[in-house]
Amino acid sequence: MLTIIITIVFSIILAFVLGLALGFFQKKFHVERDPKIDEVRAALPGANCGGCGFPGCDGYAEAVATGRAATNKCTAGGASTTEAVSKLMGVDAAGEDLVSVLLCQGTREVALSKGEYVGIQTCRAAKLSTGSVKACTWGCQGLGDCVVVCKFDALAMGEDGLPHVDFDNCTGCGMCAEECPQRLFTMVPRDRKGSVVLCSNRNVLKANVIKTCKVGCIKCEICVKSCPEKCISMVNGIPVTEYSKCTSCGVCVQKCPTKCYKMLETDVMGKKKVPVMA
Amino acid sequence: MDLMKIFLVALLVNNVVLMRFLALCSYVGMTNDVGQSVGMGFAVTFVTVLATAATWPLYHFVLVPLQLQFLQILVFILVIASLVQLVEFYLKKNIPGLYAAMGIYLPLITTNCAILAVTFENITYKYSFIQSIVYSVGVSLGYLLAMVLLAGIRDRMKTSPVPKFLQGTPILFIATALIGMAFMGFSGLIK
Repeated sequence: MLTIIITIVFSIILAFVLGLALGFFQKKFHVERDPKIDEVRAALPGANCGGCGFPGCDGYAEAVATGRAATNKCTAGGASTTEAVSKLMGVDAAGEDLVSVLLCQGTREVALSKGEYVGIQTCRAAKLSTGSVKACTWGCQGLGDCVVVCKFDALAMGEDGLPHVDFDNCTGCGMCAEECPQRLFTMVPRDRKGSVVLCSNRNVLKANVIKTCKVGCIKCEICVKSCPEKCISMVNGIPVTEYSKCTSCGVCVQKCPTKCYKMLETDVMGKKKVPVMA
Repeated sequence: MDLMKIFLVALLVNNVVLMRFLALCSYVGMTNDVGQSVGMGFAVTFVTVLATAATWPLYHFVLVPLQLQFLQILVFILVIASLVQLVEFYLKKNIPGLYAAMGIYLPLITTNCAILAVTFENITYKYSFIQSIVYSVGVSLGYLLAMVLLAGIRDRMKTSPVPKFLQGTPILFIATALIGMAFMGFSGLIK
């Protein structure tokens, strides 16, 4: 009986002493943590996507609060987050709300495949082993690495064999652009107006792409010649629009013989959702 | 000479991971790269010595006079856990560099079974205080040695054609068993 009582008393005393010591030491060795870190952290989306280049939202919050990072690095949160973080830090920073656009239209019907690919079902493996699943070396591999890496449910494989961006969900974090072995995604501001070439084939031989893809850029340069604003130029075999001059007149879209020139505001962003594979 | 013998037995002959299969969770979990495993090994060394220094006097000067030896499991766990917590507070405030270096390892090893085993064995082997400290250093350096060995092997494994049914943890245990067999060669070292 005595043993039990001693045990109980001893345990209680021990727990009490240790608890007291812990509490005391926590107060004594309390480290002042900048409350700004927590405030900034609360303003971030918390997806830990790493799009900012820091290890997670906590890392970025600390970097911002200590002045080591700019306030507009959180692409996932977009303009609203940049605004909130900038307000907390007391700086002005115009945020850009980006979305991801796929620069390839090579669906199963229009782009020739080299053959049936039965290897490891990732774009990266396919690209490594075959050079390209499609006859076009620059085209979309269509195995959905981008869909896997997207943390915001903004990408889905369409039945046509291409990933489709859901612009409502896309936050412009840029993970898909980084993951794609073909570098087919480009980040554009959500409110950008003007024309864009949805093709990345950089084979500068004229009309060479016709053999492999019906909607590829054939380097005819009709767009360059016909643009009334003279805002299109060929860069590395692909026509590039200069958006400060583009008036969205639509001449290039009409003239393009393979229809790879599209209007961003109507054809790309305003596009109807395509049926998605289950 | 006696101390040297205790140290060598703890380090090689009775290696805590390879011969007695203790602390396997951190052994498998923290050996992804060599740098990480070295960090973990030194953190364990630090905490083991600290825990020995705290629990040995506690046992001999508090538990024995009160005849509460049967409470040692409970008391040791509580004391080690609080001790590590206290050290963490102290490091965070006074030596932030070391705190950042130890990082996540310190709280992780609060309940590491190797540390608890060392504190118990100091009692069962009836070691003196100095002997206990030497023993705990030996055991934890043995742990560090095993960690670094496996981390090096894992580096090679990343590029080796491991059969699919052995990938992951199974191949690690096979490798561990092989190193363990090699360590059996040390058993003739001390009579």
